[in-house]
Amino acid sequence: MFKSRFAGLGAILALGVVAGAAFAQEKPVAGEVKEGSLKGKTLTFVSYGGIYQDGQAAALKEFVDKSGVKLLNDGPTEIAKLQAQVESGNVTWDVVDTDDLPPYVYCGKLFQKLDLTKLDVSKIPEGQVGECSVPAMNYGVVLMYNKEKYKDNPPKSWADFFDTAKFPGVRGIDGSGSPTGGLLEQAFKVAGGDPKAMTVADIDKAIDVVRKLGPDTIFWKTGAESQQLAESGEADMLMMWTGRAMTAVKNGAKYAPAWQDWLVVMDQMTIPVGVKDTDASYALLNAYLGKQSQEILAEKTSYTPINGDAQPKVDASVAAFLTNTPDRQKQGYKQNFKFWVPNFAVAQEKWSALMAGN
Amino acid sequence: MSASELPTQPAADVRPGRAWRPFALTAPALILLVAVIGYPLFTIVLRSLSEPEWGVQNYVWFFGAPINLTVLQRTFTISAWVTIVCVICAYPYAYLMTAVGPRVRLVLVLCVLIPFWVSGVVRTLSWVILLQDSGVINSLLRLAGFDGIRLIRTQTGVVIGMAQVLLPFMILPLYSVMKGIDLRLMRAAQSLGARPSRAFFTVYLPLSLPGVYAGAIIVFILALGFYITPALLGGPRSTMLSTLVQTQVLSLLQWGRGGAMGVVLLVTTFVLLALAAPVMRSRYREAGRR
Repeated sequence: MFKSRFAGLGAILALGVVAGAAFAQEKPVAGEVKEGSLKGKTLTFVSYGGIYQDGQAAALKEFVDKSGVKLLNDGPTEIAKLQAQVESGNVTWDVVDTDDLPPYVYCGKLFQKLDLTKLDVSKIPEGQVGECSVPAMNYGVVLMYNKEKYKDNPPKSWADFFDTAKFPGVRGIDGSGSPTGGLLEQAFKVAGGDPKAMTVADIDKAIDVVRKLGPDTIFWKTGAESQQLAESGEADMLMMWTGRAMTAVKNGAKYAPAWQDWLVVMDQMTIPVGVKDTDASYALLNAYLGKQSQEILAEKTSYTPINGDAQPKVDASVAAFLTNTPDRQKQGYKQNFKFWVPNFAVAQEKWSALMAGN
Repeated sequence: MSASELPTQPAADVRPGRAWRPFALTAPALILLVAVIGYPLFTIVLRSLSEPEWGVQNYVWFFGAPINLTVLQRTFTISAWVTIVCVICAYPYAYLMTAVGPRVRLVLVLCVLIPFWVSGVVRTLSWVILLQDSGVINSLLRLAGFDGIRLIRTQTGVVIGMAQVLLPFMILPLYSVMKGIDLRLMRAAQSLGARPSRAFFTVYLPLSLPGVYAGAIIVFILALGFYITPALLGGPRSTMLSTLVQTQVLSLLQWGRGGAMGVVLLVTTFVLLALAAPVMRSRYREAGRR
């Protein structure tokens, strides 16, 4: 992060000497779109569909109207499909919204290293710009508990989540595919380890803590399922995405969040290797990062905007689950990226075995 | 054989050089099969042997990881249970279809086909609503004063859901065989002194077996590849091989391993069918003789 920002600064200085005032006009500003700049061009934006991608399309409407670009929406994002495109040399996805880790795991191989002179990343929260990605939005994985079950003695942390003696009840865990690094780190802590000094062998210890939750544990496959588990009251404690938690509570689920060490997660925006018009992809990204786009995104999806200036108009139930307030920022827990990126495959393998009942 | 020797045959059919004509009609099907089954299958086998490098490392990996073998075995067990449940449910239903008048039969056919037209995902989600702990079945059980039972996220739940989705594939072949069985044979057997049950087991059942086999094979093979239903209705202990393939390919980009898993499943299925074939063939012949 520091390195890339420094490189950007260097480039600005170097170019500044040459181009002088002319350069100042060229420096991108998040959300600014040049009139008619992409007329006749087509861009394909890929994300996860549903209300989320609808919100992203709404956030990009101004970009489409102004630049004259034709925007196609495709999805859902599947890294395997992208790999097939890159390998066959026929990349049709111009901008891709991905999970947290893939841009780090496949940086330079499937995703382009980003040229930060073409993007205005100044409003993005500290530490979220990767070598190959900018955040698409922020959200959290939060511990939700059944208020009626735990009444006066609610769980307060992930340690309580893993303590079935003190807090009996059915647990629900994200079983949608990949392991959540942050959760495994919290589990490792329960096993007496230090997440900052985790080794590959420790992944087993962390997974054992999850396994010890017992056979009643529910591994939900989709966000909708997690929401349904809360609304029907089938799980007593749930690991949930904030957007789903918000909707469940709105729909009457008698659940409350325990915010301590909520896990910071985000979707990433990337440009695949081998796109036909890189500059057009950058233009889309830069528009997406703008204040107004991010406000629209947050209002439509209830995800947390990644432009610090954005002030979306949302009602109280949505605001309660936004993660960019000072309080939430203090309570958030960031996973140890440096550990998970190189060990992604090992962790996935072990996690899949747990998922398959081993 | 030339056309002149067979003057009664329409000449165009057998004239040498035109023999390819019937094959030409199958060309669309052949091309489609080669393009959408043959070529991808070839690619899968090839990639399972060539990624990340040439060799059998993907197969060594498959048989070296206990979880894969557990899940492979479970995949066959679940599919077998689904097949059994389907036979038990479909047999009387298909029989009823042959025994009733045309109007009731139409209703029965629609009952089979309408769910068939509804997406499998929708049907699976309906099962979630029925089977879950706070769902319809458990609520009724509790109302009746029983303890609730865990159905969702168990193998039982997966088998129930899959059997419902696959039931038409059992009923339709069974019905097509059963409607060809002359019911007077049963009466003949009874007139010769056989009790109804005896008449059924010695006359009707053997004649209907080809339908059972056809349906069972279709259901069993379709069940082996199920993905959505076990994913939504099952828990870790009912994960099937397709889920593991999905993880390897989509999360880990291990196309070679995913391919190897597919090949193992395919070969195992072939072996099982080859073992079952002689039994079925002899039964067929027996049925024909009677």
